[in-house]
Amino acid sequence: MTRLMVPHPGHFPALKEIIEVKEAEDLKEVEEVFMGGSPEVMGSGRGVLHAPLIDEIREQTEYAQQHGIKMNIALNSTCLGGHHLTFEGYKMLEWYFSELNKAGVDGVIVAEPYLVELLRDFPMKTIVSVLSYVDAPQRAKFFEDLGADVITVDTNINRHFELLKGIVKAVNCDIRVIVNEGCLYRCPFRYFHYNLASHLSSLNQPRAPLFAPDFYFDKCINIRLRDTVQIMKSAWIRPEDIKEYEAIGIKSFKLSGRTKAVNWIIECMRAYSHRSFKGNLLEILDCPQMLRYMFYIENEKLEGSIEQWKSCKKRCNECGYCAALTKEVLSYLK
Amino acid sequence: MKKEISEGRIKLEEELRTLIGNIFVPEAKVFGMVCGCVGFAADLRGLQSDDVAVFREKIAAILEGVSKSVGVEPEFVYARKLPGSEEVVTLTARELCERCRREFAGSKAAPRPDIVVLKKKK
Repeated sequence: MTRLMVPHPGHFPALKEIIEVKEAEDLKEVEEVFMGGSPEVMGSGRGVLHAPLIDEIREQTEYAQQHGIKMNIALNSTCLGGHHLTFEGYKMLEWYFSELNKAGVDGVIVAEPYLVELLRDFPMKTIVSVLSYVDAPQRAKFFEDLGADVITVDTNINRHFELLKGIVKAVNCDIRVIVNEGCLYRCPFRYFHYNLASHLSSLNQPRAPLFAPDFYFDKCINIRLRDTVQIMKSAWIRPEDIKEYEAIGIKSFKLSGRTKAVNWIIECMRAYSHRSFKGNLLEILDCPQMLRYMFYIENEKLEGSIEQWKSCKKRCNECGYCAALTKEVLSYLK
Repeated sequence: MKKEISEGRIKLEEELRTLIGNIFVPEAKVFGMVCGCVGFAADLRGLQSDDVAVFREKIAAILEGVSKSVGVEPEFVYARKLPGSEEVVTLTARELCERCRREFAGSKAAPRPDIVVLKKKK
């Protein structure tokens, strides 16, 4: 059966509300949630809005599990500044993983290969983050051999079906795809942006204030405003197109957006559970959400586009499909 | 409007100082967002979430008064914490657009963990 992992902003009332909707509307595919861990241990790929202590994680995990939901903790920093390779860092991480394990946590999401190995000593599932940039069977095999139970593939290959099929074939672990990320396809800032986010969401901060608090984000928005085709080329997957991924053996899907408002998360959870969404597709895309105020992409008009993307050779200069599609389906909001 | 914002900043700072202690309000502003929301926001230092929990109604009332004085209907009043800490860094009174009424203020839970809801108009 297909499984959906849903973001959880971190505060207990939000978890309760998410689970309440899942149960009231019988959204069976929603099986897991994920939230950030302690920024005192390490940062993650998203800003920190909440710093849960172990007792709170335990309490929330127990509640989730009582409702048949698994709890995962995201510790997917892409840069720990080498701290993890010091004895002090090693001891701290080992202690933290041990505490998460005692708290009953089901899985830990990590990007650093060293942490994948470290998690072998614990029964919790090791979930390889999208920030490990697994984009080929070879890399997936590396991570599986290191101890991965689940691999979240690089969103850059969301529309590379041959690669996805190859990865599914190459490993025995679960392959997970993020469905609602709207990042630039092959973004030049991606590694650097996540390294920055990893530092800013941890105690390992820059020594002086940044002159541009989110330089890469601003660049990202500017690029799309000047070239709207980039919005179409992003790796998002329409709720209606999940079946195409199921057909190639992918059964695990993740919704992005743990820094967003609870009701936005719930709306996304509904759309992807029902495999249907009417309206502006940008409404259910995380990262960057800001575009929904500027553009309107009628989701229904994208019906069938997946057929093109399934066999796309990614030679945009020779193709022009996304450019033509953008003209057809994207309008400017006044 | 300039006068009202300036006076509002002073009033907020003075009343918070009377209520809690050494609070500093370095900046106050009226804002308009792309979605249609408008609001009054004050950046502050010295306030913690415990203070907000204890004086929730009083702080909400002060903010409502200042908000009305600058022409903003205080439909949704909230404090924003410095993420991952108990320091409250902004107090906001917002007149909501349709989308934010549903999405930002429509949940039973606070919309995000760094937001402490002080008052929500039914």
